[in-house]
Order: sequence, then structure tokens, then C-alpha cells
Amino acid sequence: MTKYVLRRLIQVVPTVLGITLITFVLVHIAPGDPVEVLASGNGDEAYYEFMRAKYRLDDPFLTQLWTYVSNVLRGDFGTSYLTGESVVRTIMPRIGSTLLLAVSSIVISTLIGLAFGVLAAWRANRLLDKAMLRISVFLAAAPSFWIAQVLLLFFALRLGIFPTDGRNSPGFEGTGFAKAVDTLWHLMLPMSVLASQESSTIARLTRTGIVDQLGDDHIRLARAKGLGDLQVVLRHALRRSLPPVVTVIGGRVGHVFSGAVVVELIFGWPGLGRLILSSSQSRDTPVLLGVLMLIAAAVVLMNLLTDLSYMLIDPRVRLK
Amino acid sequence: MLSTAFVPVLAATAASIVPPESACTREGDKAQGPKKQKLVCAEIQGKKIWVPSGGDLVVAISQDPGSLNPAATTAGAVHTASELMFNGLVQLDDKLNPVPELAESWTVNKRATIYTFKLRRGVKWHDGQPFTSADVKYTFEEVLLKYHSRTRAAMLSALATISAPDRHTVEFIFKESYGPLLLQLDVTEAPIVPAHIYRGSDPTKNPANLAPIGTGPFKFGSYTRGAEVVLNRNPNYFKKGKPYLDRVIMRVIPNSATQVVALESGSVDFLFGVPGPDRARLLARKKAFDTLVTRRNPGGSNCMMTVSFNLRRPITSNLAVRQAIFHALNRDAFLRNILFGEGSVAVSPFSKGIVWAWGRNLKLPEYNTVMANSLLDSAGWTGRDGSTRTAQNVVGVVNGTKLSIDFLHFPTFSAYAELYKAQLKEVGIDVRLRPLESGPFVTAVFNNRDFDSNIISYCNGNDPEIGIRRMYDSAQIGSVAFSNAAAYTNVMVDSMFQQARNTLDVTRRQSLYQKIQQQLVKDVPYVWLVETKSTRIFTSSCGGFRPYSLFAEEAYCSN
Repeated sequence: MTKYVLRRLIQVVPTVLGITLITFVLVHIAPGDPVEVLASGNGDEAYYEFMRAKYRLDDPFLTQLWTYVSNVLRGDFGTSYLTGESVVRTIMPRIGSTLLLAVSSIVISTLIGLAFGVLAAWRANRLLDKAMLRISVFLAAAPSFWIAQVLLLFFALRLGIFPTDGRNSPGFEGTGFAKAVDTLWHLMLPMSVLASQESSTIARLTRTGIVDQLGDDHIRLARAKGLGDLQVVLRHALRRSLPPVVTVIGGRVGHVFSGAVVVELIFGWPGLGRLILSSSQSRDTPVLLGVLMLIAAAVVLMNLLTDLSYMLIDPRVRLK
Repeated sequence: MLSTAFVPVLAATAASIVPPESACTREGDKAQGPKKQKLVCAEIQGKKIWVPSGGDLVVAISQDPGSLNPAATTAGAVHTASELMFNGLVQLDDKLNPVPELAESWTVNKRATIYTFKLRRGVKWHDGQPFTSADVKYTFEEVLLKYHSRTRAAMLSALATISAPDRHTVEFIFKESYGPLLLQLDVTEAPIVPAHIYRGSDPTKNPANLAPIGTGPFKFGSYTRGAEVVLNRNPNYFKKGKPYLDRVIMRVIPNSATQVVALESGSVDFLFGVPGPDRARLLARKKAFDTLVTRRNPGGSNCMMTVSFNLRRPITSNLAVRQAIFHALNRDAFLRNILFGEGSVAVSPFSKGIVWAWGRNLKLPEYNTVMANSLLDSAGWTGRDGSTRTAQNVVGVVNGTKLSIDFLHFPTFSAYAELYKAQLKEVGIDVRLRPLESGPFVTAVFNNRDFDSNIISYCNGNDPEIGIRRMYDSAQIGSVAFSNAAAYTNVMVDSMFQQARNTLDVTRRQSLYQKIQQQLVKDVPYVWLVETKSTRIFTSSCGGFRPYSLFAEEAYCSN
């Protein structure tokens, strides 16, 4: 078990390095460079030469790659071309916001998804089940930017009960509990958008997993013992239908990290997704590579956690 | 027991505490919000009116600034968020006249080679240190002339030296006569940063870029990355009494639809711009929102949507074809359908915002498809292949070649591209659209010259020397982004631009620029399509915004 975890952990390094290498090459193949963004439509030949030399953008590709990789291995992720700030200090303040949004939406969508999945399975093929199927298909199909706009117009503008944007109110100066409440209030809409799509997937998977077993021997036995429908579902069918659900949740982590781009843009949420977008538009390579490395590592680690969690859910699974 | 603080203030009482400032009027006095604010007699754009003092102004900005040092970049996002904390030596009023700011007065020698500025005394940096000539010298030599791409391009080659003979005097000495200096010294072109903070460091990496010290009306409060920048009132601002607001909160909201919802729901007070359809809807609610239309923006002023022709391609090198395209374009339709009237159809190659220099009495080719068709016929494009013309006897083109040109544009300008394509189709020109993001666009247009026509928003700036010369100067054909896209070459025009730069005499500059524009209209290297303006929209409980730099220096809000 320990050996297995160690081996998997060691695999993280080449995976992340590989992703870094591919991104590095892609960014360098793409036309445009950060000096054009810094010049923002102005500047003469001398300015371009000066800035390109300053950031060593004229070095041969392999030299740049070597410098970058050897710096990263020494723990130096470089400096943003645009702000002059170190990549670590650029990324750090964003991690909290993204984690908050990602974790809360995964937790909420899991809870809601499981609950609705169980309810639908319990009332399989009846009105409640059919209604839920339609709602979840709708939520899964509706683009997140559309759901986000609708929620924004209805809850923020029409009803005025949730704020339109940001993580805290404008110029908010409170701390501690007051700040937590303010943050939670701002979190509601963006979290709901992400959670609505995730929960519909989880609900359908859970429902199918349970319904598939309803004819199985162990279920028939449970019924023969005199358990009610709901108890049969909860105690006997739910657990066996969890592995695919856990796989989906684990796999969605990467999606929630990067797929939050749209939600972060619409709600002005100060997370990593927006940083990916802005740093790739401005060719701020060190920042872009830094964020992608972080996300790659997070996804690989989540996959490991997902695999480990199978053991808890299903004692028959043994890892080698 | 109720405390006396709960007793409502009667109108009469309020009036009696008002100091007797006879010249002050109540015009522009906004309704008082729930928090009773003290009224002060404010001077707003030269007029004295009573305004509420204190309170917050929440401004939506589209991009996270990243850095708050406006001297080290021309990026609009940085300037929008940070200019209120700084000053220039001069400010440019709404007619682009220089008025004193950090410089109290100035003299220029006859040949326009030596500019001497007397600095305002008693000005303090936000950390309490005195502002002196050493700050000006340092800012230019180590920051602006290296990293501010516009100021560097305009001044570096002409400047001999900057000297600071005493603490309150600065001299700019040029190698040759240099006319436009005074237009390059406002807070957008040349914000002054403190030498005592930056000296000895790399100005692009100094920690003060994220917590700046300036001289401006507002001091740095806090910066939450990706979320907001909070600025606090500078109580020691050298313009006595200003500013009137306690705080300006710059809120980063990337999505323009969300910005509009935030304004409507009241969480944001001020937007720098609004998409066309939303603007009409908001303006219909006259009582709730006020507007301010301006050509000037922190990222670039006097901008004009401009179609460039590649003068080195056989089809577009032909003058008649370029004239025909100009005639085929209904520029009113661009203004109406794309800009929703926000701007004006260009009447001269230079923006009308440069009040003294734009070309009077010019006749740009007007919309006339008959004329366009006859010009194309005369150029030899008389054949037909479906609805597209083909070459019959066109110089440099094989007979039977289709009259088909490409059109490069940013994806954000796709509405312009569609209209261009549709209008040129009417006269038998086929247009192939090539939407490109800014990096690939610059590479294709300026490095590789791989285009027939394209569209660029050329910001003409405050002086033709800064933002316009680069479009026509034959020395500026090359890989530099947004230089001479057409590859226009005319020795006469080159030399007239140089003469206009070398003189301080406005009348002489004016007549040179008139001659240049007459020549440009004959040569048609570009189509000067429409001049764009921005509409600031704000809640009507706020006011006093200026259409140019330091937009909130005199602003007030009742909240």
C-alpha cells in the first residue's frame, strides 16, 4: 500500500514536467510575444530590442527551455513579464479563491447529486424520477455561461438578494466572521452554476447504478428481510453504486479547476481560471506555465486519491 | 434616552452651517442619500458648486492591472487603475492645452531646444517626503525613457539631456528643435514616480509597483489581486480641498454584461464603457444614470478605426482600386450599426480630437457605388466571374484573376469585417475574412506583410508626432506593432513630418500638417473609417467626472 502510493507519487514528477514541456513548446510556437502586449500598440524598434533583451526572449529556444527547467528544478518559477512579480506570489493569492469555489461546488454537487440520485432510484420510472431526469439533462446540456447569466439577472438584479460580482463587497474592511459571511454570500451564485452541472451528472450516475442492482440477489434478500424500499436503496444498493460516481467526482476536479474560467469571468471571481486566460492572452509565459503545472499536479494527485478511495468503498479492491 | 444625534437636521440648520461662499451655486447638487454628508463648495471644471463630500465611488474596470506603476508601461489596464495616485508635470485640458500641475510654470527658448520647468513648491509624496526636481530627472531617465513605450519612442532619440539645476527647476535640452514636448508630459504620457523609492532598483520589479507612492489626489489603500484596488483620499493633496471622495474602489469585473448588471443593481457607480445595445437601454432611464462622452482614455486617446491597404501587393497598390474601395464603403452604416452612434465618421486623416491639427476642407471619397464601379472599370477589373470582378487588363495582374482580397481583423472587430465584406461585394470585390488574435495579427501584418487589407484602431494620441506619424513615416515600415501598416512611402510627407516636429510655432506646424493631409487624401494609403468615442455611464448620485486624465479628481457621490 505505502509502496503503491510512493510509486504513484513519483509518477507525478514526469507527468508534470511533460505537461510543462508541451506547454512551453506550444507557447513558443504561437505567434506574438509579451513585448507586444507591454508596448500595447506603441513603441519603436529600439524599445522592442531593449525589452526582448531584458527578458532574454531572443535567446535560442533550447537555451530558454534549459534556463526555465533548471530554474524550476531549483524552485524558481520565474517572474511575470507583465507585473514584475514572482510567479509564486502571483499565483498564491488566487489559489484560495479557486479552492473555495472548487471544493464547495464539488461537496455541494456530490451531496445534492447523491440525494437526488437516491430519490430518483427510489421512485424509479415514476413521476418524480422522470421529472428529475429531464431537469438533469437540461442542466447538463445548458452552457454554464447561460446559466450564470440567468442566475445573475434573476437573483442579483431582479431580486437583489445576491451580489453581482467578486469575492467580497466593494471596499469590504471586515475581518473574521463578518468576512466569512460576506465571502459565503458572494460564493453562492458562482458555486451554484458549477454545482448545478456537476450534480446533474452525479444524480444520473447514482440513479442508474442503483436501479441496475434492484433485480440482484442481495437486494431481493434485503427485501425478503422485510426492509422498505428506501432502506433497501440506502443500505444495500447505494454503496455498490458509488465507485463510478467517485471516479466522476475525481475526474471533475481538473474540470472544476480549469472549467471555472467561464464562471470566474462572469462573476469576477478572483481565481486561477482567469489567470490562465489573461496570462495566455498576454503571453505571460512564466505565469501560464506556473498555473498549468499547479493544475496538472492537482489533477494527478486527485486521480491517486480517487483510486485510494475505491479501497474504502469496496473492500474487494486491492491495489498493487 | 434618545441621543440628539437622531434629531433630523432641518434644512434651515443645514443652510446656516454652510460657509458664505458667495460664488457657489447649487447647480449640480445631487440628492442626499441616507448618510448625511457635509456639503463643500467645490470647484469643478472651473465652476463653483456645492457638492457632498466624503463617500465611496465604486468603478468597474475590465482587467486586473497586475502592476500599479503607470510610468513603466502604456498598458491601459495599469493606467486606468493607477493614474489617480500620480501627477504629470502638466495636465491637458479638454482642448489639449497644457495647464500647470507638478510644474508651476515653464519657458521655452526660441529654437525649441531648451524647456525650463519651475516645479510647484511644497508638494509631498504620499509618504511625506518632499517632491523635487531629482524625482523628475530620475523618472524620465530611468523609467519613462526606458519602459514607457510611447514616451520612449517619441523623445529618446531627440533628447540630449535632462538637468536639475536646483531643487525646483528641471531643464529638458534637445539635440534639435522639438515642438511637441508639452503634450507629452501629462499623467498618462509621463507620470512622475518617487526617486527615493525607485532609485537603485529595477523599476519593473520594485515592490512599490504593487503599493505605489505618488503625489496624486488619492493614496494607495489596498490591492486584492484579481478583485479590487482601493484608493483613499490624499488629505495633503497640493490642489487644496480636492479630492472630495473618501475612497475610490476599482472593482475588476472582466465581463461587460456583469458590469452593466452591477451598475443597475447599484453595487457599482461608474463604468468606463458600455456595449451599444445596453447603452441605449440605460440611457432611456435618464433619472438613474448620467453619461459623459469622451475621445480620451487612459490606454489611448483620439482613436480611429482605420483600414490599411498593403501598398506592396499588386491589387491594393493600385490607387484606383483603393479609391474605389473608399467610395464603396458606407461609413455612416459603420457608425450606426456597429458603434450605435458612439463616435463620428472620420472627416480627415487626423482625429478631430487633435483640435488644431486635423485637416480642414478636405474631401474624403464619399459613399458612391457608381463612382466605385467606374473606378474599378477604369483600372481594368472589367471581367466577371459570378458576382466577382476579374482582371482584363490590369497592370501586374494576370488576366482572369479574381478581384479577391483578404481582410485581417481582431475577433473583437468581426462586426466591422462583416460589414466591409458585404459592402465591397456590392461593387464586385470578394473579401476573404481572416480573424486573428492580436499576436498572430501583428506577426502577419507587420513582420510578414501577409495581407491585402486589415483594420486597426489607431489611437492618434495628443499630438500628430506621437500617434500619427508612425502610420505614414517610411522609416517606420517594419516589424514594430502598429507602425506604418500600409508601407506608405512618400519623401515629401516624411520631410514635412520632420519639419513639423522641429518647430514650436503652432501656425507653422498646422500648415505643414494640412499639407500632409492633403497629400494623404490623394494617395489613400488607408481608409479613415470612423472615430470612436467612449461613453462613461454613472449613477446620477455621482458627478464631477472629467473626460480626461485624473477622471475622479473632482468627482463626488452622495451615498
